[in-house]
Order: sequence, then C-alpha cells, then structure tokens
Amino acid sequence: MTECVKIKSMLSRYLDKEISQADMASVEKHLEECLVCREELAALARIRKAIAEEGRKSLPPDYLVAILRGRIADERRADERRLLRLAGIGELSRRLIPVPAAVIILSVVFLFLSSSSSISSYSLEEHLLNGGQTTTDMALRLMLGV
Amino acid sequence: MNDDNFYIEQFLSGKDEGFEELVRRYQDRVMNIVYSLVRRDMESEDIAQEVFLKVYRGLKHFRRQSRFSTWLYRIAVNTTYDFLRRRKGILGGDPLPDICADSPGPRDELLAGEKEKMVRLALSKVPFKFSSALVLKEVEGLSYMEIAETLGCGIGTVESRIFRARQLLKKEIIRLEG
Repeated sequence: MTECVKIKSMLSRYLDKEISQADMASVEKHLEECLVCREELAALARIRKAIAEEGRKSLPPDYLVAILRGRIADERRADERRLLRLAGIGELSRRLIPVPAAVIILSVVFLFLSSSSSISSYSLEEHLLNGGQTTTDMALRLMLGV
Repeated sequence: MNDDNFYIEQFLSGKDEGFEELVRRYQDRVMNIVYSLVRRDMESEDIAQEVFLKVYRGLKHFRRQSRFSTWLYRIAVNTTYDFLRRRKGILGGDPLPDICADSPGPRDELLAGEKEKMVRLALSKVPFKFSSALVLKEVEGLSYMEIAETLGCGIGTVESRIFRARQLLKKEIIRLEG
C-alpha cells in the first residue's frame, strides 16, 4: 500500500515521460503487479485524451489574418488621427507665440521708459540742490513727477 | 520552410507579411490553448485576436531570449487569465463558469454521456494556475521545461501543478459521475 502511494505520486510524470530511467523502471515493475495503479494510470490517460480532443480547434488559414488586417488598419487610422490632433495643438501654439512675445517686449519698453524718467527727475533734483537755475518747465516736471 | 526568426526579421524590416505568416503558423495552437481554458468559440476567437495584436505591438521589443512560441504562449495564457478575471468581475463568483450559456445544464450533459463535455466541465472547476499548466501539456504537448519557461516558474512547480490539476480533475469527474 505504501508502495502504491509512492508510485501514484510518480504516475503523472510517468505519463508525461518526465521521469528518470530508474523511476520509470520501478513504476513499470509495480504496474505489472498492481491493478489499482494500472487503473489510476488508465484514468489519467483518458483525461489526457479527452482534454486533447476537446481542445482541438482549427480555423481557416487566413481567417485571423483577415480580421487582424482590419483591426491593425483601424488602429493605424486612430494613431494618425491622434497625431493630427497633436499637430493641430502644436500649430495653435505656434500661432499664439507672438502674443506672449509682444507682452514681454512691451514690458521691457515700459520698464526702460519708467527707469529713464526716474533718472531724469533725480537729475533735476540734483540740479536744484546744486543751486542751478529753475525754469518753468523744470518746476512743472518736478510737480508732475515726470 | 523558414523558421520563426525569418518572419520576425521580415516584420521588423517593415513588411507585415512576416507577421501574417506567424499568425498563420500559430493561430490554431493559440486557439487550442485559449479554447481549452475558456471553452467558448466566440470569446476564444476574440482572445486569440487580442493575443496576436499584442504580438504585433510587442514584436519589436521581443528580445529573443526564449523561443518565439514560448513568448507567444505566455501572452496567450496571460491574456486568457486577464479575460477570465474580468469575466469573474462581471459575473462574480466562480472564475470559470460551470457551463457555456448556450449549452445544456450539467445534469443534461452527463445524461448525454459525452465524456469530453464532462472533462470540459470538470476542467472549469480547476483553478487557472493548475489548468493552464495541464492544458499546455495535454493540448500543446510542451515539455515541463517549456511550460516552466512559458509560465515563468520552476520545473518543480510545473510538475506539482500538473499533478494537482489531474488529481482535482479526477475528483471532479468522480463527483459528476456520482
């Protein structure tokens, strides 16, 4: 009985021919003498046959190829549409580039003008402090801060 | 006849004919594996399409450290597993429904005395990790080494999964017959 337990644990590998020569010899020797283990092996072989026969599916040669051609073509078209959309966004971005550029240029000009006017007013104050003559134009510019 | 690498090179050089030849070569083998695990014609075909689309998209990344067939079978098993997992999510409960929606009930099948259908029914009760190893063995006739490469596990694991699958199948068939 203990021998049967040991042999049954090897029957699966024996059926698959994934067993060492020594184990194969001991399984075969046991099978000659043991009806229970022979029946166990026959049951495993029947299962094998049933699964193999049940699993057989045959498709016409170009059946899947034809379907796949269509699906791959669909995928390519979808990819192209995606790329075109991305290209459209890129084009829009390119068209909008002058707007921030103009804002930056205007900002620089504004900063330049405002700094040059403060230098000018500082120069007038310095001019007065140094005892220079005051003209009406100078007084107005000082009052208006321009 | 050219080997798989010839057609892979052809595809990588921009010719879809290489891919199409690989599909012709392997469509039945992929269908056999998928159908044995899913057991529905239409769904098996859909899964087979997904398998080959994955091959089409991924062939340029295939590093050829294993044979093309091993890589393909791995994709087939994983895609089938994902499908069954989604189906479980949709249907709930058993990851592999007992029977096809359009086939007779279990008792009718037994009365019809169709051994293959009973095995199919019993196989649906075996967890995927065991049944996938058994199907690769019984349907495709792969060696334990090839199954180990396909499933990404050791030979000892393959051996025990196949053994376990057969034990569970036998038990289930006895239960169905009883």
